[in-house]
Amino acid sequence: MTETTIPRGNTLPRIRPWLGIAAAASFVVASAMALFWAPTDAVQGDVYRILYVHVPLAWLAYLAFVIVFLASVGWLWTKNPLFDAMAVASAEIGVLFTGLFLVAGSIWAKPTWGVWWTWEPRLVTTAIMFVMYVGYLLLRGLSTDFSRRATRAAVFGIVAVIDVPIVHLSVLWANSLHQLPTVLRVAGSPALDTPMLVTLMVSLGAYTLIYAYFMSARVSLELARQGRLWTRT
Amino acid sequence: MLERIGARRVLLIAALGVAVLVGTVAATNLQTQAVYYLTPSEAKAQGVAVGQAIRLGGLVKIGSMSSADLRGGNDFRFVITDGSVDVQIVATGAIPGLLREGAGAVVEGAFVAEGSFHATQVIAKHDEVYTAPTAGATPAHRTAP
Repeated sequence: MTETTIPRGNTLPRIRPWLGIAAAASFVVASAMALFWAPTDAVQGDVYRILYVHVPLAWLAYLAFVIVFLASVGWLWTKNPLFDAMAVASAEIGVLFTGLFLVAGSIWAKPTWGVWWTWEPRLVTTAIMFVMYVGYLLLRGLSTDFSRRATRAAVFGIVAVIDVPIVHLSVLWANSLHQLPTVLRVAGSPALDTPMLVTLMVSLGAYTLIYAYFMSARVSLELARQGRLWTRT
Repeated sequence: MLERIGARRVLLIAALGVAVLVGTVAATNLQTQAVYYLTPSEAKAQGVAVGQAIRLGGLVKIGSMSSADLRGGNDFRFVITDGSVDVQIVATGAIPGLLREGAGAVVEGAFVAEGSFHATQVIAKHDEVYTAPTAGATPAHRTAP
C-alpha cells in the first residue's frame, strides 16, 4: 500500500455548528417566505408553492453530481483520499436530494397535471439519473480495497455526470409534459414575478447551506473511517 | 470468512444489476415511445391508424371545451389543436382542474375516426411562467405544445 497522507484539519469541525445553525435558520426563513410571503400564482393558485422546494433540490442535486464528477477527477489525478471522501459524500446527498425532488414533483403533478407519474422525457431522464447514482453507491460496496474502490467509483462518477445536462435539456429536445425552464434558460430573463424569484433565490441559498452542512458532516465521517482503515493494518 | 464476503458480493452485484435493469427499462420506455406525444399534424403526417394507442399533445382550442358540469362523465369534449390541424377529443374519466381553453393538454387514447379521438386519460400542461394574479382579471394563458 502506498504512503498517503490523511488530511487532518480542525476547520471543518469548528465551523460546522455555525453552518448548521445558518442552514436551519435560512431554511425557516425560506419556508416562511415560500408559504406566506410569495404571491399565489394566477394559474396554479397556491399549489405552485412546492416550486420553492422542488427547484432548489433539483439544482442542488445537479450541483452534487457535478461535485462527484470533480472529486472523481481529483482522485484519479492526485490519489488524495479527500477527493474520494468528497465524491461519496456528494453522491449520497445527491441521491437523497433527487429522491426528495422526485417526490415533491409527484406531489405537484397530481393536482396540476392530473397524474402522479408519466414516462415523459424530463421524468425518465431524472429517474435514470437517480438509478445511476444509486448504482454508483452500490458499486462502491463491491470492493474492500480502498484504492480499487475509489478508482472504480471515480470512473463511474465521471461518466454518469453526462446525464445532468441531459435531464435539464430534455424538455427542449423532445415533446414533453414538463414545462420549459423558467430560470435556467437562454431566451430572456427568468419567467416569474420578482417576489417569486426573490423567494426562489432565498430558498436556493437555504438548501445550499443544507448541502454544505451535510457535506461537511459526511466528509468528516468518511475521513474518520479512512483513518480507521489505515490504522487497522 | 470467505463465504461471508462471497455472499455479500453476490448480493451487491445483484442489487447493482437490478439498478441497471431498472435504468434500462426506463431508457427503453423512452425509446419505444421515443416520442412522448404527437402533435395533431405529426399524427396526421404519420398516418396513425384508428384504434392505435397514442398520446396527442397540443392546445385546447378556445371555445371548444364542454362546460364544467360534464367533467367526470363519459362525454366531456374539447378540441386539441397545434395551429394547423384540429382533433376533436371525447374524454371519459377525471378531467384535471387545470385544463382550460388556450392552455396545453396531453391526451392518451386512440383515434375512433379521422379527426376524432377517444381519450382515456387527460393530462393538463402548464407553461413555465409564474405570475401573481391581477385583481379582477382572468389571466391570459400562454402555453406552447
